[in-house]
Amino acid sequence: MNSTPPLSDSPAYPAPERSHLRIGYVALIDSAPLIAAGEMQFGRRHGLTLELCRQPSWAAIRDKLLSGELDAAQTLYGMVYGVQLGLGGPQADMAILMTLNRNGQAITVSNQLAEKLRAGQPLQAALGSLDRKPVFAQTFPTGTHAMWLNYWLAAHGVHPLADIDSVVIPPPQMPEALAQGELDGFCAGEPWHAVAQNNQSGKTVISTSQIWPDHPEKALACRREFAALYPNTTQALIRTMLESCQWLADNDNKLTLSAWLARPEYLNIAQDLILSRMGTENIEATQPATPPLLPVRFFDRRGANYPLPADGLWFLGQFHRWGLSRATDQWHDIVNQVCQTEHYAAAALQIGLDAAPPAASAVRFFDGKIWDGSDVIHYAESFAIRA
Amino acid sequence: MLRVLLINDTDKPMAELCQALVDHGYDVLPPVATSRALSEAVKQQKPDIVIVDTESPSRDTLEQLALMHSTAPRPVVMFSHDADQHLISAAVGAGVTTYVVDGLAPERVAPILTVALARFAEESRLRQRLAVVESELSDRKLIDRAKGLLMDKRKMTEAEAYETLRTQSMKQGLKIAEIARQIIAMADLLN
Repeated sequence: MNSTPPLSDSPAYPAPERSHLRIGYVALIDSAPLIAAGEMQFGRRHGLTLELCRQPSWAAIRDKLLSGELDAAQTLYGMVYGVQLGLGGPQADMAILMTLNRNGQAITVSNQLAEKLRAGQPLQAALGSLDRKPVFAQTFPTGTHAMWLNYWLAAHGVHPLADIDSVVIPPPQMPEALAQGELDGFCAGEPWHAVAQNNQSGKTVISTSQIWPDHPEKALACRREFAALYPNTTQALIRTMLESCQWLADNDNKLTLSAWLARPEYLNIAQDLILSRMGTENIEATQPATPPLLPVRFFDRRGANYPLPADGLWFLGQFHRWGLSRATDQWHDIVNQVCQTEHYAAAALQIGLDAAPPAASAVRFFDGKIWDGSDVIHYAESFAIRA
Repeated sequence: MLRVLLINDTDKPMAELCQALVDHGYDVLPPVATSRALSEAVKQQKPDIVIVDTESPSRDTLEQLALMHSTAPRPVVMFSHDADQHLISAAVGAGVTTYVVDGLAPERVAPILTVALARFAEESRLRQRLAVVESELSDRKLIDRAKGLLMDKRKMTEAEAYETLRTQSMKQGLKIAEIARQIIAMADLLN
């Protein structure tokens, strides 16, 4: 009668080649899946100990990934492709293991500008009424915020390379710089918009989910060589992070997570400010006629975490649009090599999740442009405002 | 003279590098401590080299400047194919990151990195490191003299002269400074 094997805490997955991994992250609401995985020790079931290593900049994440000091890291989605192409820095073959979250970023402008926009003045005119060149901050030249900011400005007839100064400063300093008049606006992750609104340093005018509904934001990335050398470790890490993302889909768990994030070793700001940007409540969009807001999405059953090659194509297209790289016929090969869809599918299946890519569909951006993942060069060159 | 900008926005005593670099004949710009000041300093003072704590929150500001302004310094890991890789690894290990302008020969960066390393290495290794600096600086002088000879006698550009030294160095399996020494000795003999 004792033929049934005893229930084990460790299901029979292939043993990871490496059991201790150093994982880099930048403290943001977006780092929730990593922090949850660390606090809840989700890796244990998969034979992994995750050592979370907080990093002061995206450049540090890149350099430490390339030097091997970090095994994998949370990265800005576009930045992985920036490194793959060697834009402005070292070139290396990169791998995206999964998408860690979608949505959850915003653009906040000074109170003065927000007032003009609220009164119905077009952005171009409102910026023109400043007596100097407007200054907007973002987070990394090939990152996501640079692309969301550029897209938003250009859709309003403002040329991001000519009509404004685009600078990078550390996001925790953005609300204060806005209050001091050093910035006219910024695009970054949360909770920095919640902080700016709470301090009355500025007003959030648009959430990035309104620019591109369910856009990819942070990726779990590593060197491609790591994924090739340690396939079992790679899949164990994807399983761990998928479970962490799934755990975050529960509202009670979001509450728990926001309490952790509020602690000094992470964000060191009030828990209610953090919690306010983990759902859709309390975000006031001051621009009329914008599409509805979507919450930051860490997980869904429609493939939110899938490392979608078409998402990469969009970034390559925008790099081309802004003159950062030239169009080539190799883009499809590049995104297919970067996106580790086989590892992802294997890992998802192992824990009973859907392994298929999300159903292909055309996305309508807030300016009415349609992105369906096809003919990216034509798409990138179809914008009136570009480099 | 190389213009060096130091970023002093972490616990690492970056400003202490100032005097050491001045003593070695570098033009050290006033250190900056904020990201906004950094953007202005890079655009207006056009440093050849920026030295920053690897853990500085201002790193991404430098990345933006590197990509958007062709004259701004770029991360030095770009030189990873060069012989100075060992030194760069050591610098990264010591938490020092360097950005340099395009076209700046790696052997001109090395002595500065060495000074930075010496500054931040533990007390017991300080003297040894400084000895390395001295020797590398004298190596650099030899290389500059040899390049000058090649440019003068062979009508080469500076880049061609350096490339010639480098090719000879690889062919003979000798340090570039050693090749430079041979060329100078030969020139003395022929004069």
